This record gives sequence, C-alpha cells and structure tokens, in this order.
Amino acid sequence: MKTLRDKYCIVGVGETEYSRASNRTTRAMAVEAVRHAILDAGLTARDIDGMLDYQGGDSTLANHVAPDLGIRLNFYMDVMGGGSSTEALIGLAMGAIEAGMCQTVAIYRSMNGYSEFRIGGTGARAAQPVRGLDLAQVPFGMRSAGQNFAPTFLRHMYEYGTTSEQVAHVKAAHSKHASQNPKALLKERVTVADVVGSRWIVTPLHLLDCCLETDNATCVIVTSAERARACRPRPVHIMGVAGRVSKPRLDFHWAHGPITRVAGYYAKDIVFGQAGIGPDDVDLTGSYDAFTFTTMLQLEEYGFCKKGEGGQYVGSGVIELGGRRPNNTSGGHLCEGYTHGMSMVIENVRQLRGTVDDYCPKAAEGVHTYDYAPGGCRQVKDAEIAMNLGWAMPPLGSALILRR
Amino acid sequence: MPQPVQYRGMSLIIPDNDTEWKEFYAHARAHRLVVRKCAACGLLRYPPTHACPWCMALGWSWREVSGRGTIYSYEIVHHAIQPGFRELTPYAVVLVELDEQRGQPTPDESLRIIGNLLRPDLTPEADAEVAIGRRVRVVFQDLADHLALPQFTLTDEPPQGRVWRLPG
Ligand SMILES: [Zn+2]
Repeated sequence: MKTLRDKYCIVGVGETEYSRASNRTTRAMAVEAVRHAILDAGLTARDIDGMLDYQGGDSTLANHVAPDLGIRLNFYMDVMGGGSSTEALIGLAMGAIEAGMCQTVAIYRSMNGYSEFRIGGTGARAAQPVRGLDLAQVPFGMRSAGQNFAPTFLRHMYEYGTTSEQVAHVKAAHSKHASQNPKALLKERVTVADVVGSRWIVTPLHLLDCCLETDNATCVIVTSAERARACRPRPVHIMGVAGRVSKPRLDFHWAHGPITRVAGYYAKDIVFGQAGIGPDDVDLTGSYDAFTFTTMLQLEEYGFCKKGEGGQYVGSGVIELGGRRPNNTSGGHLCEGYTHGMSMVIENVRQLRGTVDDYCPKAAEGVHTYDYAPGGCRQVKDAEIAMNLGWAMPPLGSALILRR
Repeated sequence: MPQPVQYRGMSLIIPDNDTEWKEFYAHARAHRLVVRKCAACGLLRYPPTHACPWCMALGWSWREVSGRGTIYSYEIVHHAIQPGFRELTPYAVVLVELDEQRGQPTPDESLRIIGNLLRPDLTPEADAEVAIGRRVRVVFQDLADHLALPQFTLTDEPPQGRVWRLPG
C-alpha cells in the first residue's frame, strides 16, 4: 500500500468562538480562524499558498477569504461537503503539495450553523424544493440528519440489543470533557438519566443524544514535515488518512445491508494500513458525535471493540478522560459545538502537542495536573497517537491518524 | 413542465426531463408500485436509477411489484423539522423490505423503500403499532393528476421474524 506516513504535518490550528449568535458573516469568521491558525503555526500570510474549504451553500469561498488576509494562492478548491470533509481535505492537501502545486495549505470550515443556515434542517433548509433523489425520502418527513440516520441506529438496537442507556454514556462522557473546556458551549455535566429523560426528537434519539447547532469557523494548516520543522509548535505528523470512503449504493444505502454497518468497515484498512498500526495503539479518538450513536457505531466499526459491542464499549468508561482511550476530549459536537468535524481534529492536534487549552494555569506551556475534575484539566497524559473518525452519514466517512 | 406539487409546505418538482421519477409517479398515480428491472441481468432496483448497479447495463423496463413487505427498521418523529409535518407528530417513517428479491443478489441486499406508516384512511398509524418484523402493504396517497406517494399500511399477515419495537 502506498503511504506518505509522517511526510506531512499539521502545523497550525485555530478557531473562532463557539456561539449561537455570531452576528457576523461566514467571511469574517473564516478570516479570523485562518489568521489564528497561521499565527499558531508561527507563519505569515506569505507562507500560505494553498487553500481548501468545505461547505453546503452556506459559507464564503476561498477567493474571498484568502485575499482578505493578503494571501496569494497557487492552489485552492471549494468543496461541497459537511461531516467527514476535514480528514478528506487533509489528504487532498497532502496530494496537492505532493504534486508540486503548492507548499502549505490552510483548510477551513465557516458556518453560522445556528443563526443563519440551521444545520438541523429547520428554517431555510426545510423550505427547499424537493426533486431528484430527495423524492425517495423527504416527502415522508425524513429530511434532517437525525431523521436520516435513525433507522440505522434503531436497527442496531434490534440486532445487537444496544440500549439507550449505553449510548447515553457518550453524551455523559463528552459533557464531562466539556466541563474542562473554556470554549465549550455546554459546560454543564449531564448524566445518563438526563439523556434518556430528555424529550424524544426522533426515536431512538432524545434531545440530548443530538449535537448543538453552532456558529463557528475552524482552520488547520498542512505542510511537509520538512517545512514543519521551521514552525513554532511541535509538529503533529499525519500517519494515515482515508477520505470520504463509501459503502455501496451511496444513493440509497438502505438497499445494501447490513444497514448497521458504517463506512469505517471500508475505511479502516486504508487508514490503519497506511499508518502501520492498529486500534490498540491509539491513545485517544475523535469519533464524530453528530449523535451519541455515531460515536458508538464508528468506534466498533474501526475495531476498538467487536462489531455489535459498541454499546457496552461506550458504557464502560473507556471513552472518558482517565479511561483507556478517551473520545472527544473537547466535548465534541455534543457539547463544545458543531463544526462539521474540524474541531475534533484541532483538539487532537492540541492533545498531541500536550498544550490543550483547559483550565490548568500553565496549559499553554504544557503544564497540566491530569486531574479531570470539573473546571480542571483535560490533557491526556503522554498522548502519542490520536485518531479521528469522521462521519457524514452511515455509508460515508473519513479517518485520520496523527502522532506527535 | 407540470406545476410543482405542494405537499405539507414542500414543493415536489418532477420536470418533464426527469427520466428517473416521472413515469414512476405516473404509475403510482394509477396505484401501481413499480421498480426498474435490468434488461441484461434481470435484477430489480429502487430508487429508479439510469444504469444497473450490478452490471452497469442501461436497458431496463418498469416492473410492477406486489407492494407487500416487512418493516425492516423505522423511526417515530416527535419533533418535526418541516413545518407542514408538525400537525402529524408523532409520525412513523418505515423502511420496508419488499417481498420481491429478498436477500439478492447477495444476502445483505434487498429491495427496500421508505414511506410513512399510515392507516388505510391515510391518517398516521398509532406509534405503538409500529415494529420491526410487522407486515405491510402499499397504499397510495394521491397528491395531483400526475403524482401519488407510495405509503404503507399494516396487514394482518403473520409477522416475519422477530417482532421488536423500541421499549417505552
Ligand atoms: Zn443488470
């Protein structure tokens, strides 16, 4: 298998505030996130010559964002996509650099996901005309992400005996993590009982099984390992990447079962094959939590536990800070805020640097207490390898393995 | 082009050049559920697609199916996204495995289709009645001269396999 293992690095990360009322344009937010990432890397606008972004008709494209910062581009693409795009674009950035088209690529996602184009599907999205393939689902009141995924989740409960309580542990764990994250929208810890006691949205999803629509912009910067050595922070190396790997019949994935199988079934061999490691070698994960169930489904599909045992796995404490392999230590999309996946890569980069932005007074210098009490530390001790499991929908996902 | 059909606040658009859906809905309006049958390998497929996903052949014909099947999975929507569905909540969306071509061409593949679970009078079925394994048949909800939605209603046939619904 061809691999570019360790030849490329993430050298800068940045974001804007997580809010539900940004009161500004996606252009303004994107510019700020890219600027933060450039400064984080210790670079200048002149060092950035590639740009990639993803959006769903709800954001500002690179040709308006780059010039705002004085960046002249040798390469850029604006890509249609939501969740799972971050990892895929990191791979494309490596490819663009490898092809000699550019040297350093800034990747961003900017969205007013609450105040402007609601990601959950209410408002303008609900009013869009229905045509083409949408006719197979939308006229039946099946439009939002939760509505699109729920039959997959429910069938998992049927086939494997997975319970609402088991899966609710994902939200409880991520809320624990968010309580140590000054940036998080929801910092309050919640219990399994809180989750299963919250109102139904669409069975088997309660309100607290669902993520938070958020206004936010995020950015990561990719360059060669050679150039990374000149950057300010400790470089984080890309060991493997799999981008937008699909199940058969992506047009209507219900046709090709088992419907409880998700894209990681196909992606895992690609990403672990490149990295030359297995699940046991991974110290922390960022398994996409659009919903509690998505985290669970991906962790089992990538082999962190046996297929069908995801409910027990996420309920066992292993995914919590202090557990064997914490997941979404920032609080993720369920608690920190929803960014279509980029924030989970940013968090893992900071974890591998050892400088996660928790409440430890000297966090920026890498001094942590490793005491995971509320309002305290969320740094994973000696984290060496982190993995992101990106999710777009059950039949479509991406993956990324990073090492310090 | 026929006028867009207004249904629960949505504009359903089927232009004259919609080679996938236009005839499907004309059949549905005549209360026939049809799928495409590949002229080369004979396999049935839904939704209507231009080429055969198993052999890539372009030739096909419409084939009427029985409209009978089993609930393979489902969801009960309590919080409607589309404003026009609010008055229906809680409503059931069912993933139905049709009787034709079950487990073919591989054991995990089947003809599956999405619809609402309705009573024969087209009002929403009680959510306590919705369960994996229960048998259903197609009913048609006429929306316009050129368009009807295929929907599903429970039958009194014995269930297929284990009957299960989300507790609570
Ligand atoms: Zn064929």
